Formats: sequence, structure tokens, C-alpha cells
Amino acid sequence: MPPKSSIRAEEWDRRLHDVQITKNDLNRLIMDYLVIEGYKSAAEEFSQEANLAPPVDFESIESRMDIREALQRGDVEDAIIRVNDLNPEILDTNPALYFRLQQQKLIELIRLGRISEALEFAQEELAPRGEESPEFLSELERTMSLLAFEASAAAPAGISELLSPAQRMKTAGEVNAAILESLSQGNEVKLVGLLKLLCWGEMLLEERAEFRKLNVVEGSLVDSVHV
Amino acid sequence: MHTHPSTLPASSDSDDDSTATPPRDTVLPPKEYSFKLPTCWSDQDRHSLLNVSLNGRELSYQGTSCGDKDAAAARTIHPIPPACGIYYYEVEILGKEHKSHISIGLAGHGVKFSRLPGWEPNSWGYHGDDGCSFAAEKNGTSYGPTYAGDIIGCGIDFTTRRAFFTKNGSFIGAVFENVGKDIDLYPSVGLQHAGEIIRVNFGHEPFKFDIDSHVQQQRSAVWNNILATPIDPSVLEGRSMSTTGKTTLSDEQSKGVLNKLVLTYLVHHGYAKTVRAFQKQQPDVLAAKDPDIVMDDTVAETGGMDEDIKCRTRIVNSVITGDIDSAIAETKKHHPVVLESENHLMLFKLRCRKFVELILETTEMKKRIKSLKETRAEKRHYDEIGNGNGEFWMDEEMGMDVDDDAVGLMSTSPTTIPYNTQPLRNGREKAVSPDGEAKDLSSVDAAAQYEMALNTAIAYGQELSNDYKSDTRPEVRQLFKQTFGIVAWEDPLEAGGSVASVVSYEARVNLANELNQAILKSQGRPTRPALEMLYRQTAACLLQLGTMGVGEAAFADISREILES
Repeated sequence: MPPKSSIRAEEWDRRLHDVQITKNDLNRLIMDYLVIEGYKSAAEEFSQEANLAPPVDFESIESRMDIREALQRGDVEDAIIRVNDLNPEILDTNPALYFRLQQQKLIELIRLGRISEALEFAQEELAPRGEESPEFLSELERTMSLLAFEASAAAPAGISELLSPAQRMKTAGEVNAAILESLSQGNEVKLVGLLKLLCWGEMLLEERAEFRKLNVVEGSLVDSVHV
Repeated sequence: MHTHPSTLPASSDSDDDSTATPPRDTVLPPKEYSFKLPTCWSDQDRHSLLNVSLNGRELSYQGTSCGDKDAAAARTIHPIPPACGIYYYEVEILGKEHKSHISIGLAGHGVKFSRLPGWEPNSWGYHGDDGCSFAAEKNGTSYGPTYAGDIIGCGIDFTTRRAFFTKNGSFIGAVFENVGKDIDLYPSVGLQHAGEIIRVNFGHEPFKFDIDSHVQQQRSAVWNNILATPIDPSVLEGRSMSTTGKTTLSDEQSKGVLNKLVLTYLVHHGYAKTVRAFQKQQPDVLAAKDPDIVMDDTVAETGGMDEDIKCRTRIVNSVITGDIDSAIAETKKHHPVVLESENHLMLFKLRCRKFVELILETTEMKKRIKSLKETRAEKRHYDEIGNGNGEFWMDEEMGMDVDDDAVGLMSTSPTTIPYNTQPLRNGREKAVSPDGEAKDLSSVDAAAQYEMALNTAIAYGQELSNDYKSDTRPEVRQLFKQTFGIVAWEDPLEAGGSVASVVSYEARVNLANELNQAILKSQGRPTRPALEMLYRQTAACLLQLGTMGVGEAAFADISREILES
């Protein structure tokens, strides 16, 4: 690899300055985030204040958020009903998602210590699906092994994480994405793509050149390029 | 930067002249980073037994013998710019119907022309007689079908540094590794038998192979790769990549970062209602978790910041609506440093704008007087020919008696200046609507009003001139000149050009933005929101990678992936 070149801070600043980007572009990024992440009233206000046409109707944001909240408080049954109210095809055409919801329901039953109910549910609803796909089966087994530990703290991380809020968020995220897809709305937050693009780009560039870094969290450029 | 040869139809002769401008209808990267593409065979860089046709596209073998030692190769004038991501060209074999001892491929700068591409180091080729691929080797590796009388395509994917070939539009497969890693690469073809002729297509005409969908596939592959990149917390903090064990933000943590980016952006631009709604909707889950990077200070800050945003927004909006006096007064009250810094530069700019507003008011009045006169003239005309619409004109007569109100109404608020841009006009049409005019103005008063407004404007200008007469900064002199220059125009708003840059609605918005940034700066806040910096930093990195020949960067098209939906 050839020696790293070094880009002077003033030169880098000039390049940053030359990048073409408008306030309207950035506003649309914000709107994209508010809509996909379900900030309904913020999206409404922003549509007004920034004079930006809403990309979806705001009611659909609300129903998506109701579903997400139901999942986050562990009421899977309610979430399933709401998804079906919104559009029955979402679960009909997406067996993996339906399985994920059923699995979440099983997790919630175990969390509440309703063991016999959990067993019954697993045998009736989940086991037949486990036969359909090895992936479902392995997930089912992982979930059932929660029962093997009296206190979840004793379980290995790979298993106890099923009881974490992160697991609920993950399920909720998958449902959210599926609903957005059914509305033919992008389901990836563009800002996340932008953050990843920065990490990817800086990683590649760092191998080749010294340049001025950005502290994204503070929104300020870092003074020294040396580590 | 997302161009590749198939979207860059090249004219066959522009290549001869290194300063030639590209064909007009091409999509090219910014001038500074423009790249030359291979568009024809070089008349210099070839074996003497090869004849290059006048248009630079055909090669014919002029020798008589038939053996390895009589091989003859040629290459293009310009190398392939790696920033194109994928480069592709096609060769049609014209002279041979049966067996062809031809090699099609790529070669570096110094490779001997007496050898077929693929035999020598820094050359790679696909041979027609045995269908083998050669990379600096005497005996090739079994690769694809033999060819003769076919159309063979050769591509190089700079994102993977692998080559690929096609035959009559069908993809054969990726081949070779690390192609041209540290050298310039040229399309290169070698012939070795009498009667062998080839014609090349460097994008002059449509390709046999569907290169566009191939490029599309590669682009998605690169983008998927990017989306799989973990978000490294140390990168976000502007430090180098963590070398010991890669760390990744959890979903919740990255959500915290995103929320902060969004919130600071909203605060920066003063979207106060959105800020409030956004904060109200923060789920407790998030607020409680992630002690590190998340909402901590921002939330607290914005609590007390509420009043601050409101004030800044008020100031900015005053400028945008042309109410410069309020903007100056309120800035003076809350952010005096902003007006004073740099020897009162910001104050000067605001006062210049105030002068512009005063002048615009006068031109507006003049226009009204003029249109009133015209209406009168018309009316007389109608009366003379006995065709007047009594009812309508009666209205006007009545209106003309109501002079007393005119004074109040004529001290126009600045917002009455009718920019063609909508945002200013909300609910303000009344003052300039035709029947308002008729009621508010009599011609005598209108003229007096105009006179008065003009005097006010000039007096203001003289005062401004006096206050800054000793300021010799070029920036000040220039703005001063431009500002006073607008008086020369009957309607500065219509004048366009440099006048427009002083008087236009956009000029107000720009000034408002400048003031906003100055206030933020005076508070020790960044002048650009973090989100904007994030975009700029990312775009600059990608551009730099592109110019350094990192092929993947060509497919990481930021505006396409992030801004277009």
C-alpha cells in the first residue's frame, strides 16, 4: 500500500463547504425519520413548519405506532389483531413474521410464569410450524429452553436475551418494516443509511489518507487529525 | 460519479486531443474531477504490424506469418479511470469465421506490444483459439468457450478488482484477481494472424451485453455491503476506528444518536413546535436507557432552550418577512455581540437590507400610481366613447373620497412588497389588491406619499453612508455599492442579475440564514447542524475515495441513495 496522503484541514473544510446539499434535502431526511419511526405529531408539526408535503397519511403512522406499543408492552395478541385490522395480507403472506409474533407471544407467557399455558401454546401453535422450517424449529427450541432455567439470569446470554426489551423492539421493528412495505413506503431509515455510509467511507479513506474527522455526536470537526 | 462507459457515449475523435471537450450530451463528474475514458486505439501505442483505422476503432493485422513470435497488440490512448466503478467494452471479430488467435483483455502501461495480452506481467487476456484466460502466464487456465466471428465483451469491476468477459451478450464469468491494483489499466487487444480484423465498441453504440443491469446488480451488492457495516461508536466521535475488537452500537444506542441528530437539527432551524412534539413522543424506554450518548444533555438543553429558539426564530422570521427594524432591535437586545462583531459587519448588512426594503416600497408605490393613472386614462377613454361601466367606476369615485385612511394604509408594512414567491403574501394581498388601491389612493396624495417615502429612503441611505464612510473593507464597499446601485432601476425586482442578488426574496432568506448562523456562533454553537455536517463529511469522503481510484465509492452514490426516494 502506498504511503498515506494527508489532506490539510483547510482543504478538507473547503471540500465540506463545496458539498451540494440544500435545507430542503435535509428536511426530507428528517421527515423520513419521523414517519418511519412513527413520530406522528412531530411529523405533522414538521410538515407545517417546514412546509413539506407529508409522504404518507398521518393516520397510518398512528396505527403503526399502536401496534409497536402493544408489542413493547408485551401484548402480542392485541398487536396481531391490529395488524390484521390494518391489512390481513401482511401476516398471511409473511409466515416468518407470523412465526416471530407467535414466538414473542410464547416468550411473554414464559415471562409471566404461565408455564402450562405456554406449553400448550407451543405444542398447538408453534410446533407444527417448526416442522415447516429448520429455522423456525431452532428458534422454537431456543425459546423453550428458557423454561430450563429457574431464573433468567442463570441462562446463557443467547437465551436470556429473549427476555430483554431489545427482543421486543426487534419484533416490533420487523412488524413495522413489514407494514411499511405493505404501504410501499421505504422501510429503512435513510439517516441510518447515512451513518453507515459515513462509517464505511471513513474506514476506507482512513487506510489511504489523513483527513479531518467529524464528531457526529457533537456535530463538530475534530481538530487534530493525528491519533 | 456513477457513470460507466455505457452511459458515456464517446465520440471517436475526441480522444486524440487531450484537451478536447467531452461530447455535449454526456453525464460527467464535476469538472475538477473529470476523467478521460478510453475511446479509441492509440496510433502510437501499438505494434507496427497492426493497422489502426481512421476512426480509431478497427485493428487489422498486416503481417504474413502465423506464430506466437509474430503477435501484435494495441492499446487505447487513455487508461480506464477506476472511479467509473465498472468499465466495459466490446470487440467484434470481423476477419475470422473459424479459429482466431486473438486475445482480448487489459494491460498496463509498459507491456510489450509484441506479446498477446495475458502473456506478460501486468496484462490479462481471454484467448479465442482455446477459450483460456491468461494472467501473466504462458499456458492459460480453462475459462470460457472459444471464439471467432463473435462479439466479445471485456469488463473490469474496480469494486472487486476482477475482470469478466461476455460472448455475444452472455456473461461468461468473473476471472482474475487484483487486476491492475497499482497500475493504470488500458483496454488491449492482440492479434497474430494475417487477415484478422477487429472492431471495438467503447460505448459508441449499444452493447450486446446488458451492462446496465449488471452495473445495477453490482451497485446493490455494494450498497448491501454498506448497510451491513456496523456503526462504530468511535467513528461517530471522530476518533479512529477502534482497532481492538470491533464495537458496534446497539439498536437503542444508534437510535439515541439519531434522535439527537434530529433534535439538534430541529432546534438549529427553529422548528419549535416540531421540537416539542418530538420530545413529547420520546418513549420512556429510550429516555431511561443508554446513559452514554443519548438524550442526556440535549433534552435538558432544549428545555431551557425553548425561549431561546423562539427568540431566534422570531428574529429570523423578521428578516424573512422584511421587517428589518424588529430583527435589529431584537438582536440588539438578546445577542448584541452578533451585531457588533467584526466591526459591526452584521449590523451593516442588516441596515443595507433595510435600505433595500425602503427602496422597494417606493418602487411599489410608483407602480401603483402608474396603474392608477392608467385606469383613469382608460376610464376617461371609456367615458368619452360612452361605454363606461357605471357601477364599477362609482365604486372608485366613492373610494377616492376616503383619503384620511390612506396615510395609515400607506405606511406600508414591509411585507407588502409583492415578491413572486408565495410565502410572503399570506393574508397580505389586501394592501395591494386592485380595489384596495382604488379606495386608498388619490393621485395627489399618492404622489406626496411617494415623495415622502423616497425622502425617507434616501435619508436612511445617507445616514448609513455616513456611519460607514470610514470603513474601507472591500466587503463593505462592495455591498454598499451594490445596495445603492439598485436605485438606478425602475423596478429592481425585475432587473435580475447582480441586482437580484441584493433585492430578491432569496437574498432575504440568505441574510436571515446568515444572521441565524451568527447568533448560533455567538452562543458557541456550531453554525451548521450536526446532521448537515454528517452529510457533508460523508459526501467529501466518498468523493475523495473516488478520486483515489477506490472503485466501490463509485457505487456508493450518496445523493442517489440518501436523498432520492
